[in-house]
Amino acid sequence: MTTGIVFDIREFAVHDGPGIRTTVFLKGCPLHCSWCHNPEGQSSVPQVISGAGASRVAGVEYTAQALAAILNRQVAVLQANEGGVTFSGGEPLRQANFVAEVIDLLEEIHILLDTSGYGSESAMNLLLARVSMVFFDLKLIDREAHRHFTGCDNDCILRNLAVLGKSGVPFVVRVPLVPGVTDTDANLAAVAETVRGLTGLLRVDLLPYNKAAGGKYRAAGMEFKPCFDEARPLNINTGIFKKANLEVHVL
Amino acid sequence: MNERIGQMKARVRAGEHRALRRKITVDVLSECEEEGLSWPWRAARLIRRQCEAEQVVIDPREKIVFTRTLPAVIPPIYKPEDWARLTAGRTLHELGPISNICADWGLVLSQGLLGRKSAAMAALQRFAGDKAAVEFLECAVETIDAVLALAARYAVAARRMGRPDLADILERTPAHAPRSFHAALQALRLLHAVVWLGGHYHVGLGRLDQYLWPYLKADLDSGRLDVPAAEELLAEFFIALNKDSDLYPGVQQGDNGQTITLGGVTRAGRDAVNDLTHMVLRVSRDLAMIDPKINLRITPQTDLDLLGLAAELTRKGLGFPQYSNDEVVIPGLVAHGYSLEDARDYAVAACWEFLIPGRGMDVVNIGAVSLPFAVDAGIRGGLAAGAGFDAILKITADDIARQVKILAEAYAQLLLPPAPYYSVLMTGCIERGQDLAQGAVYNNFGIHGAGAANAADALAAVKRLVFDEQRIPPNELLAALDADYAGHAELRRLLADQAPKVGNNDDQADRYLTALFDFLADACEHYGRTNRGGILRPGTGSAMYYVWLVRGHPNMREPVVGATAEGRKKGEMLSANLAPAPGAGVRGPISALQSFAKINYRRVCNGGPITMELSDTVFRDPESIRKVAMLVRAFAQIGCQQLQLNSLNVATLRDAQAHPEQHKNLIVRVWGWSGYFCELGPEYQEHIVARHLYACES
Ligand code: SF4
Repeated sequence: MTTGIVFDIREFAVHDGPGIRTTVFLKGCPLHCSWCHNPEGQSSVPQVISGAGASRVAGVEYTAQALAAILNRQVAVLQANEGGVTFSGGEPLRQANFVAEVIDLLEEIHILLDTSGYGSESAMNLLLARVSMVFFDLKLIDREAHRHFTGCDNDCILRNLAVLGKSGVPFVVRVPLVPGVTDTDANLAAVAETVRGLTGLLRVDLLPYNKAAGGKYRAAGMEFKPCFDEARPLNINTGIFKKANLEVHVL
Repeated sequence: MNERIGQMKARVRAGEHRALRRKITVDVLSECEEEGLSWPWRAARLIRRQCEAEQVVIDPREKIVFTRTLPAVIPPIYKPEDWARLTAGRTLHELGPISNICADWGLVLSQGLLGRKSAAMAALQRFAGDKAAVEFLECAVETIDAVLALAARYAVAARRMGRPDLADILERTPAHAPRSFHAALQALRLLHAVVWLGGHYHVGLGRLDQYLWPYLKADLDSGRLDVPAAEELLAEFFIALNKDSDLYPGVQQGDNGQTITLGGVTRAGRDAVNDLTHMVLRVSRDLAMIDPKINLRITPQTDLDLLGLAAELTRKGLGFPQYSNDEVVIPGLVAHGYSLEDARDYAVAACWEFLIPGRGMDVVNIGAVSLPFAVDAGIRGGLAAGAGFDAILKITADDIARQVKILAEAYAQLLLPPAPYYSVLMTGCIERGQDLAQGAVYNNFGIHGAGAANAADALAAVKRLVFDEQRIPPNELLAALDADYAGHAELRRLLADQAPKVGNNDDQADRYLTALFDFLADACEHYGRTNRGGILRPGTGSAMYYVWLVRGHPNMREPVVGATAEGRKKGEMLSANLAPAPGAGVRGPISALQSFAKINYRRVCNGGPITMELSDTVFRDPESIRKVAMLVRAFAQIGCQQLQLNSLNVATLRDAQAHPEQHKNLIVRVWGWSGYFCELGPEYQEHIVARHLYACES
């Protein structure tokens, strides 16, 4: 019996894919993005979140059966409303066996994988065989910059992107726009260049950095020390993508 | 919204028209005493004198006229000592006068007041020997004449001011059936305003998209009116409804019951949605004012375009439309003795209660059963006696029955004052020769089952932690409750965090939610017929009881509850209507809807919405708004009864508390109605800020 650690299950997640969806947030992420707005998703063990007055534990261990049972209770509603289940994180590839087992236990439903792409090729293939759509986060194309801002290099991310491109699964590339980091013309052009021509690519979503990102850190007993200038205005250059004949949305 | 309408709205919000209010007191009492008038005649005389005392106000910028110039206080028609004698030993509903029902506006418009008068004349002949009937009918005619005289004065003034458009309308209506949409709105404005002048309140507007549609359709078909012009007239009518909100009585300002019910099916069962349904939603969205409050009747098949339009209205943060699901409501009403045709014709009262326009003299809110109090009695009684869990449920059910009986007995003495004018506006009062106060077709009483989620959570917590897992010894729980959890923080945390909660589609908690409402329905059924020949309708609303039941209120019949076993401390508020208990962890709206869908609504038909707050970030883009529409459709698909959906930005609310002067126009839904946030009492503001946010940000 496979178990996994989930730090949240959120219903009616309107920005996590088509229709009415329920999103499962898997705990644990190998990256440490300087702008991460889900700090409680990074560590792979349960941790105490203390807000104003109350505290709660983020991170519940579920068996695949138990999680699938919760989700199956609402599959009919999601199905009837053009939606489904999204697996996000943290990084779901990290718990790929668990996620795959949950999916296998689910009734027929649209599944979306929301991933940073960081994981083994086999994990990627395990999930690609089971999902209907992928949201693939692409942050920085430059290897050194990636290492600097996320703590990891991007070799496996780019490799998994290529795997995704060949899989035939429809996907959206999502670029978090972080001021002075990912929103530079050079990086955006490199992203456009990287994704152009991949089969299955539906569009590129740009996600402007949200200043509230730091809000959760203290509650999670962590320190928010962004190594970029939060106040700097964003460069939301959609033109680069349009020029490359890519559909682009700003969320 | 064009410039003229924008300016009109601004003038009303600024309260310019209030300068026209006169500080006079109309003396009706003296002549009543001198002439030794009967009660019905005094009621009729009140309407007569109020209409006469109204000063004609015709603002050259207005196309629909009537501005109230009389103050809020309704002149007395009895001396205090006589009033005391008249009402001794009797129960008055709230302030006394008939309130919170809905007239048959369609009937009155189509017959005209003269049509109603002919009906009264014919009835006078039929009832010639019946003194009471004759008196009632003569009083009814008196009020008709009073309203016609008021309209005539407006008509003369309009003619004199060079407003032939208005004069033509007012010379003809409301005496006769309107010949245009404009005339219908003008007639409705006048007829409706006079109800308020008679001391009635929560004056519902019913199925406006049904009864006004024939007039609008005729105008559109003939080309006399185009859609923008029709919208402008409708907007002006809506603005007019906002003029006097501050004069109307209610628990909090804004609680004035000027509701409209849209959509649904016709009396024959056909789809009733028409172009006016859409127009009302559009105009209400563009105006963004608290009146009229909109209800939308839907089914699982309602198309997403209409629901999307409604979601755009929700986005405005007004707290409406409120939705009701015909597939659940209509069978519920039929099961409670309403004819199928009448049930299909339902409208929504001031908050959420279902009633039949023209035919319902239901008193939809005779009080609340405190479900948390009943459960507390069960838990304390059961545990103290060392009894099992079944005994706790039994004591709970008995206490619910006890509370129902107290409310019903109090209302066995109900005294409704004569209402000759309101009777004119109802279906069949004139024809039966009987004042509305004597009853209409339906004369049922509604009872709220308040605090349901808290109560069910308390039972679920005790079942799991005291009985199943035996992690809490009974004595310790009793001691903790008595101490209001002082010195029992750990135990309180256990109850709050380690037990199933309503709102997660978890049968471990939801089974008690359904059981509590079944107990309530049992108690209502067991009580049987009331003195007025009606039944008791159990409901799921809470109104202001989510505050009153924990903090108390003068002259309240309901009991106050202290600390409760779901981990709630004394004085902390309960959930409003159907919502997870404040502070209970829930995953979001789907599970919550699934939890509340388990209630047996065929037995629980008084109304009372599932209440949900969505973060306003959900409404950022058209795609998300469409998802809100789908969520509403899901509410109907899952089989819930009623839904109140709000768009809320907590930061804005906090800022409004700190800087009220900068947020004068901030509107929020309170319990069954919407009002200006800054005009609410602090405890109500707090509850709104603390309500469950189904946050959906990515
Ligand atoms: S990949 Fe996502 S979850 Fe992981 S650290 Fe970066 S932003 Fe946070």
